[in-house]
Amino acid sequence: MDALIILFASGILTMFISLLKKPVLSLITASAGLFIAGSLLVLNFDHPLNFIKYEGLIFDSASVLFSLTIVVFTLLLTLSGYAYFSKEKDHTGDYMALMLFSATGALCMVSFSDLFMFFIGLEILSIPVYVLAGTKKKDLRSTEASIKYFFTGAFATGVLLFGIAMIYGATGTFKIAEIEAFINTNDTLPSFLHVGILLMLASFLFKVGAVPFHFWSPDVYEGSPSVMTGYMAAVVKFAGFIAFFKLFSVAFGGASDYWAPILIVVAIASMFLGNLSAIQQTQFKRLIAYSSITHVGYALLAILSFNSLLNVQSLWIYLFSYGFSIVVLLSVSMLIKQEDDSIASLKGLARKYPFIGFVAILALLSMAGIPPLFGFFGKYMVFSRAFGAYPMLVIIAIINSGIGIYYYLRTIIVMLSENDQESMIKTPHVLHYLVLSICAIALMVGGFVFV
Amino acid sequence: MILQTVFDAGVSIEYYVMLASILFGIGVLGVLIRKNAIILLMCIELMLNAANLLLVAFSTYYGKADAQIFVFFIMVVAAAEATVGLSILVMAYRNLRTVDISLFNKLKG
Repeated sequence: MDALIILFASGILTMFISLLKKPVLSLITASAGLFIAGSLLVLNFDHPLNFIKYEGLIFDSASVLFSLTIVVFTLLLTLSGYAYFSKEKDHTGDYMALMLFSATGALCMVSFSDLFMFFIGLEILSIPVYVLAGTKKKDLRSTEASIKYFFTGAFATGVLLFGIAMIYGATGTFKIAEIEAFINTNDTLPSFLHVGILLMLASFLFKVGAVPFHFWSPDVYEGSPSVMTGYMAAVVKFAGFIAFFKLFSVAFGGASDYWAPILIVVAIASMFLGNLSAIQQTQFKRLIAYSSITHVGYALLAILSFNSLLNVQSLWIYLFSYGFSIVVLLSVSMLIKQEDDSIASLKGLARKYPFIGFVAILALLSMAGIPPLFGFFGKYMVFSRAFGAYPMLVIIAIINSGIGIYYYLRTIIVMLSENDQESMIKTPHVLHYLVLSICAIALMVGGFVFV
Repeated sequence: MILQTVFDAGVSIEYYVMLASILFGIGVLGVLIRKNAIILLMCIELMLNAANLLLVAFSTYYGKADAQIFVFFIMVVAAAEATVGLSILVMAYRNLRTVDISLFNKLKG
């Protein structure tokens, strides 16, 4: 609760500081707000504060952990995006303030206890991101990304809302615990509930970008500014998946016979389609977008094999490790000069800037799931947890991990190879080095600390 | 209160569900087939309002006020969303001189 208020207040403060037109001051305010929010979460980890009279948001230790993850990723992206944001001196603070507001919504989305707060959180999370996707005002691709993201997002919101209304019609309550009790006590479930679950499932698949509702994500990821692509892939997806888990694995867990078969098909389709499309890509951010569709497929395994808290831990570790890789790769993508960020323009990265090249390779290997890195532990935990219930699905996922290694290694080879033409890579800002060092430490030791 | 009297008069909940579903269906169809971005925005509003209608009907049916409060928040959110959507459209219009979404096709692959 304290972190929520601090984030929101520092967002407003950043907006006012932005009037001074000094990007550095905006950066300091925004990152100080995030840092204070993060430290308060760490300090109150065992006894998180809650609202006295309001039960829509409940902060227990799990949701504090998720909130902390969101704050960490937002802080890292704010720092590494500073070089991009400060290009427009008048609006640096506005962009950061919007990121803070969006993170506030993400906090609501991981700690809600009724559908009402979930919906409000989702909207607070999404609406600033629609704006931020279009921050390159003169760039047609950014505009297009913003429009596509807005319309798909708003459409998904409408579907979600109708689903919530249907579930309310079936159960007469918005509270997650009461819906769970309703599903577990009634033998024959009303058809309203089935329709509602189906509509909510569709809108969730929209939001996290799973097949068949993935079509927007490559376009949006490519067109948006790199820092916002990172935000979408790391924070929005994280919050979406935690809410997905809370609703489907916990609240609708009793009705899993109904939605689990759909999700199995979606998971398999996401893995294959994401991988097979990623192999053909020549654009770096499009590659990340398609590989993130594959990763959605893996993470759906954790949602499918629901059994209480152990699963949410494996899902968290998976998304946490994935988020660090995303932050690294999108920070690298911010360094590419030309407008279309082809993979070929990364040529010679590791030779020109050995440290950045090293961290980028770590991130790619971690995404591919190579053992000592953090990503391996995430994948291992999700797969091993799911193996008991869905052995075939896990085997398919492992085959797909193998396919994935191909295009990750191809990108690594490009980074390592000699560049005989003019380099396409900008001189990194000092904050890039800071962010990349934090991520490198997390990727290397994360698996041994958090698992 | 008005809805309550209507319920007492014998209009059952099914009719409200049907009406809301039809409105929602019109909204979804509009989003899927129309190309003008302003019409798309209107269709999305229609979807949200269908959900509002359904929530209010169920709220009266159960005799609880929570869904009606939810509806107020949905209206606020819908207004915020429309504001953001229209400003994005203004930006797009400045760049491309059109709001036909089928012409936004720079990103492919």
